[in-house]
Amino acid sequence: MLHVEHLTASIGGTQILKGLDLDVGNGEVHAIMGPNGSGKSTFAHTLAGRDGYEVGGTVTLDGADLLVMTPEARAAAGVFIGFQYPVEIPGVNNMYFLRTALNSVRRARGETEISAREFLAIANEAMELVQMKKDFLNRAVNAGFSGGEKKRNEILQMAVMQPRLAVLDETDSGLDIDALRVVASGVNALRGPDRSMIVITHYQRLLEYIKPDFVHVLVDGRIVESGDYTLALHLEEAGYADFVNQELNEVPGRPMSGAPT
Amino acid sequence: MTGAPSAALAPELSLEAQLERIATIGYPTKRDEAWRYAPHTILHQLAFGPSGVVDAAVLSGIDDQIPTLAGPRIVVVNGVFDEARSDITVLADGLELLLPGHGAHGVVEHGVVEHGAVLPDPGRADAPDAFAALNDAYSGVGVGVHVAAGHHIVAPIHIVTISAPAGTQNATCSRVAIQLDAGSSATVVETRLGVGSEFGGANTRTTISLGDNASFDHIIVQDVPSTQVHLSHTEATQSTGSELTARLFNLGAVYGRLAYDVHLTGDGARVDLSGLYFGRGDQTLDQQINVIHAAENCTSRQAFRGVLDDESTGIFNGGIEVRPGANGTEAEQSNDNLLLSNRAEANTQPRLEILADDVACKHGATVGQLNDEAMYYLRTRGIAAEAARRLLINGFADQVVHDVGIEALRTWITQRLGHDDD
Repeated sequence: MLHVEHLTASIGGTQILKGLDLDVGNGEVHAIMGPNGSGKSTFAHTLAGRDGYEVGGTVTLDGADLLVMTPEARAAAGVFIGFQYPVEIPGVNNMYFLRTALNSVRRARGETEISAREFLAIANEAMELVQMKKDFLNRAVNAGFSGGEKKRNEILQMAVMQPRLAVLDETDSGLDIDALRVVASGVNALRGPDRSMIVITHYQRLLEYIKPDFVHVLVDGRIVESGDYTLALHLEEAGYADFVNQELNEVPGRPMSGAPT
Repeated sequence: MTGAPSAALAPELSLEAQLERIATIGYPTKRDEAWRYAPHTILHQLAFGPSGVVDAAVLSGIDDQIPTLAGPRIVVVNGVFDEARSDITVLADGLELLLPGHGAHGVVEHGVVEHGAVLPDPGRADAPDAFAALNDAYSGVGVGVHVAAGHHIVAPIHIVTISAPAGTQNATCSRVAIQLDAGSSATVVETRLGVGSEFGGANTRTTISLGDNASFDHIIVQDVPSTQVHLSHTEATQSTGSELTARLFNLGAVYGRLAYDVHLTGDGARVDLSGLYFGRGDQTLDQQINVIHAAENCTSRQAFRGVLDDESTGIFNGGIEVRPGANGTEAEQSNDNLLLSNRAEANTQPRLEILADDVACKHGATVGQLNDEAMYYLRTRGIAAEAARRLLINGFADQVVHDVGIEALRTWITQRLGHDDD
């Protein structure tokens, strides 16, 4: 489904991703953990298509080359990124934004547009999922939202967009335990056989709520270890020190044991 | 209160004396702070004179451009009342209108009451500049709006000023005088439009007088063709406890100038001024705002936004003057500009003169471009770059547009700004 092969990314002459390999199969949830500065967010934004990176290697989604696509084309292809820091857009109504987004990808896919009324039903269902009050849709996108509201809005958008691949970049950062539960249960409700997820996190805490099928350790721009959920537990106890040291002694481009392709 | 208009209209200066004074003081120059960024070469091409009736054919097509609002409509073309385009058949209790006739001082019938008291002093010996003096000289009787004490006029009063320049005398003057007596309320929408592709201009003056505890909403929408100059000057005086809300949309004209002076003379008066200027091509859009706090416990807010594309120029010159003794003043001012082109220009100038002790005053100005991070965010949601750009621009502008309480007018403005959805 998602195939990443020797992905490199640099910005302003500094290489951040140094040959990342990953395969994500249909319906799988992969967690990517790593210390600060290991390239987790860069990986997420390289998948989403942010400007400013020099990118090499291969990334395909269902066989289509993502790296040549604009961010909006990637969204139409089914990529969704949940931002670590969702952007405030004063003056743009949340509901109008969401409907514009949904209809933009529908148009790009040659599907019919959703009317305002039909959209309201979709939005209401999504709102319930993240336990948001009705007035949420009438506010400006993320403007004046609390940290928890912003993250819930990300999951709300994901529920509306129904992506093929969701990349959640540190969705747990800045959340208290109640908000974390809401966000995680929203994510869990959206798991399905046709939807894959990459959950990027610094801490194991989120993974208690979103049980991943695979856990990968990202250190210095490469995946240095892969395993099942127990790897996350190990990291929680031992930290990243093992891997940082190990990685230094390893041959670059160590093959990883991800999902079957 | 109802007096003979001719008596109320007696000018301080004769027309000859006014014209002589204009010749003596001359047009403003770049050295005048309030006219610093004005295109002076263009202003010198304006030729003012008395109003004249316009050939009907020239106006074909204008009707579709006029927003349709509930309430009475007064249309003035080149300073002359256009009875056919106006609708003053239903006037609420407590509302009186004075309308300019087809001559200098005519008053039309329709049960409309003449009301000299609302009119400003014509032919002032101390008109602040040559354009103000020209307005005195040529604007004639003007439109008068009077709301009697304690009356609440719900439907907006729509005053449409159309300029149709033709020939050598290409610029005309008009004026509106509004008086709300104590405890009354009303809304006036002034729409300024123009026809034709000839160069010319309009010079409008609006005076507002608010009695104790009166509440007034004022909206100006300026959208004349880009071949024209539009000079607009509003002067408001507020008594104790009165409230003024003004929304100014400066959209059209090669040089569009909206000057707005507010004089808070009664304790506890409140004024809330906001505006949007949206420039394209080589437009220069100028906002000259002055609020004078001359009484205690008054509040004022100025919040103006500019969107400037191509080679357009936006000006915000905003003054807050707090006179000695005006304690308890709360004044704030903000000006935010969005530049869409590297040839566009924003000039923002706060002027604060605070001569009282107990004053809370804040001001801030920003000039920026579209936020890259917001663009990226929208694009990751599938919204294509051009649509994302439009969404952000409209989002910036809508923060002013959404303040307009009249839905039909809000729709008119959003459509004018190129929205496909409200």
